[in-house]
Amino acid sequence: MTTDRESVDEAFEPYEPKRRVPLPVYWVAIALALWGALTLLRDSSADRTGAKQRIAEATTLERRQTATGSALFAERCATCHQADGTGVDGAIPPLAGSPFVGASPGVIVQILLHGIEGPISVNGSDFDGHMPAFGSVLDDDQLARLATSVRGTWGPGGSISPGFVATERARTAQRTSPWHGGDEIATTLDRTIGVQPAYLPAPRSPDDLTAQSIASIGKAGGWSCASCHGSHGEGRDGVPRLAGLSPDYIARQLLAFTDGSRPNDIMRPVAQQLTAADRVALGRLFASLATPSSSHPALEGDVARGAELALQGDDRRNLPSCFSCHGPSGFGVSPNIPSIAAQRPSYTAGRLAALARLTSRQPGSIMPAIAGRLSDADRRAVADYLATLPPSPATSSKDAR
Amino acid sequence: MNDRKQQPATDEGARDQIHGRVARTSIYALTGGVLLFVFAVLVRDEFHFRGQESAPPEASGPLSFTPPPMSKIPDGPAGTSIRHGMAIFENTGTEAKPFVGNQLACRSCHLDAGRKADSAPMWAAWVSYPQYRAKNKKMNTMEDRLNGCFSYSMNAQGSPSGGPPPKGDPIYADLEAYFHWLASNAPTGAKLKGAGFLKLKLPQSGYDRDRGRAVYAQHCASCHGDDGQGRTDINGRQVFPPLWGPRSYNWGAGMAQLNNAAGFIKANMPLGAGNTLTDQQAWDAAAWIDSQERPKDPRQKGTVAENVVAFHSGEKTFYGKTVDGHLLGSGTEVPVQASRR
Ligand code: HEC
Ligand code: HEC
Ligand code: HEC
Ligand code: HEC
Ligand code: HEC
Repeated sequence: MTTDRESVDEAFEPYEPKRRVPLPVYWVAIALALWGALTLLRDSSADRTGAKQRIAEATTLERRQTATGSALFAERCATCHQADGTGVDGAIPPLAGSPFVGASPGVIVQILLHGIEGPISVNGSDFDGHMPAFGSVLDDDQLARLATSVRGTWGPGGSISPGFVATERARTAQRTSPWHGGDEIATTLDRTIGVQPAYLPAPRSPDDLTAQSIASIGKAGGWSCASCHGSHGEGRDGVPRLAGLSPDYIARQLLAFTDGSRPNDIMRPVAQQLTAADRVALGRLFASLATPSSSHPALEGDVARGAELALQGDDRRNLPSCFSCHGPSGFGVSPNIPSIAAQRPSYTAGRLAALARLTSRQPGSIMPAIAGRLSDADRRAVADYLATLPPSPATSSKDAR
Repeated sequence: MNDRKQQPATDEGARDQIHGRVARTSIYALTGGVLLFVFAVLVRDEFHFRGQESAPPEASGPLSFTPPPMSKIPDGPAGTSIRHGMAIFENTGTEAKPFVGNQLACRSCHLDAGRKADSAPMWAAWVSYPQYRAKNKKMNTMEDRLNGCFSYSMNAQGSPSGGPPPKGDPIYADLEAYFHWLASNAPTGAKLKGAGFLKLKLPQSGYDRDRGRAVYAQHCASCHGDDGQGRTDINGRQVFPPLWGPRSYNWGAGMAQLNNAAGFIKANMPLGAGNTLTDQQAWDAAAWIDSQERPKDPRQKGTVAENVVAFHSGEKTFYGKTVDGHLLGSGTEVPVQASRR
């Protein structure tokens, strides 16, 4: 047998080369080789462009930190007060000619640090709105430059130093709510402003003890909301901020987690424990929290590009600006459009990716289609930009009014 | 390819033959390999980048044009006028407060601050005036046109001054400065791609307000509200504009004609998802919106029926029709100022 096989082998061997390697095998081999070479090349160039991009980002970040007061105004205030400071009739007071801008410098700094809500009278018109607090998203330097620029353009001028802002910050460090209308400003900070409409504190919604206990201790041995979302609803990496979201939106999302229309393995078991009344009460509770923002850009996104997407959109990709739906500061529009301001960037980017995946399953639904048109870099860019915004104001008083 | 053993390679000719074959094989292999590679790359790109392709707006004319970016607005007095024109366009109720009698802004219908193709963009309008218009049967300058926009789309009859800006008001000059800048380097006289609103043919089965009600509930109500009154943000600012009722455009407006509304809706609504509705859905939604009451036609002297003859003959509109026992065109109460908080 052995010899047989050897002889067979011997007889066979000379023929082997005759069966030439078929051409397609060469094709595939060469194609693969080219592919490999290209990938290698690309990776290294991607590495290089990646590094370039990071340098560019670092410079933009640097530039943003040193942005002039007027640039800060254009980016932070113009969506509401308008580029020319005229405000919006019936909704946002003007800065041009305003006694608050004209008052002593402490006034504007305090308004910027804590925000202001409730009745206010400016240039003979009454307003009753919510201005967000910038104290947690702008540092003393930025606030000083901003305030100097606003007072230079529409007020008496003069320079406000970072040290002055720091003193003002320290002076009201204990404050946890926005200023209560023009009246509180006029009576506690600067009487030259004159008489302002009275602030009538909204009747507090009855403290909902059940909601508070679910939020901080949890329901029947289940997880507390605080264990993931933070004790003030501030969120953390990958877990969304809840403070200041609209109450209806929170309640509806909790229902969506329960019935699976928003599939999520983490929230589902938590939400399933809740009754309809719990959902409503929890919505009201988190909506009423005026928690400062602790979000920061964290995804190395191009923040300038993010600002462009949020404020102007991108015609070439058929993307309307985020704010044309989410409201001029990203605070949302009740009841269907959620707040996206000051949200955790990892959550925002992840959620956008998840929404994009829904595009095929829910054709015609709006946000999935828009998320689907964002590239990965754009998702990171816009998520990082949104993290720099002031948080949407708490809504308890507004609801009652 | 080392065929030495097998081939009786004894003479020159045979070796040449072998070399020839080797060369041929290598050429075939190389060409095939490269082709395969190119093909694979193409396939990959097709799938990889397909999702990222933006849906370009439908072409409606021969020349395409892109207006300059906002950041290119010049400094100096010209820039100031352009910026103010843009501010009027976006924040009409504040910047032109005496002449605005509703909660709309120019940008409500001319999207992206008048830049978006197929929403009657201002760069295209600029290069097509002066122009003869059947609406008032004369040559119209841009100022005449804008006067009409204030009278009808902005319902100036309900404004503090009770009418549009008077002839020669700087509002016109600033708006025109903005349009002129938007049209920087646009060819004049030529028809530009994306000019005006989409011209949508009326489908076989016409339009129907009951079908429109269903389209509206499914695709529009989440933003414009079940009652069509739009929505405001926490500061009471109009984010989604009202489509009918006392705070919307009046019966004299171009949008009150079904063909204009259908074309606008098809290309632009729901916002961010333009061109997803069928033509039929766009016409039906337009019919639902148009068959609701709104401020009266400011040109009306006598009865609605007389005004139909005077100004609305030949239009596709619900003006003057009776729906659910109500004569459309009668107008709404004018609580506009009161409702502007
Ligand atoms: C979300 C919209 C919004 C943004 C963004 C915003 N504000 Fe305000 N601002 C308001 C509203 C609304 C009021 C009135 C609050 C009230 O009714 O009590 C106000 C009031 C003010 C006032 C006092 C009243 C007046 O008109 O003088 C000043 C000063 C002011 N804002 C400055 C700023 C500056 C500077 C920025 C940018 C850092 C800014 N605001 C950003 C909405 C906004
Ligand atoms: C085990 C951690 C955990 C606990 C406990 C938890 N959450 Fe969440 N929650 C999450 C995560 C993670 C998400 C993000 C889900 C996603 O990516 O879609 C989330 C999302 C949400 C959202 C959606 C927010 C948005 O912006 O869309 C709401 C509302 C919410 N949680 C409310 C609650 C409430 C109320 C409780 C307490 C009853 C609670 N959560 C407890 C982890 C948790
Ligand atoms: C055409 C209107 C529209 C535009 C434009 C828009 N959104 Fe949305 N967005 C929505 C709606 C509606 C929802 C609510 C989706 C839901 O509840 O299922 C939403 C939800 C979201 C959410 C989820 C919020 C949460 O807490 O879970 C994020 C994040 C978001 N949008 C980000 C963006 C960004 C970033 C942009 C700009 C690139 C943008 N949106 C532009 C309509 C819009
Ligand atoms: C309710 C929606 C609406 C609003 C608001 C509106 N327009 Fe228009 N506009 C239209 C329609 C519809 C047409 C075209 C139909 C027609 O010819 O009547 C048009 C046409 C125009 C044109 C001519 C466009 C062209 O290509 O010929 C100009 C210019 C214009 N509008 C300017 C303005 C300005 C400026 C404002 C704000 C003061 C404004 N519009 C507000 C709906 C609106
Ligand atoms: C995602 C929110 C959203 C949805 C959904 C939506 N719109 Fe709009 N619509 C807007 C916004 C925002 C504007 C104003 C544009 C601006 O100010 O930038 C607008 C403007 C309009 C206008 C012109 C302004 C006016 O007041 O007449 C009409 C007409 C209109 N929409 C009809 C519709 C119809 C019909 C649908 C359903 C097919 C629809 N919209 C769905 C957000 C939406």
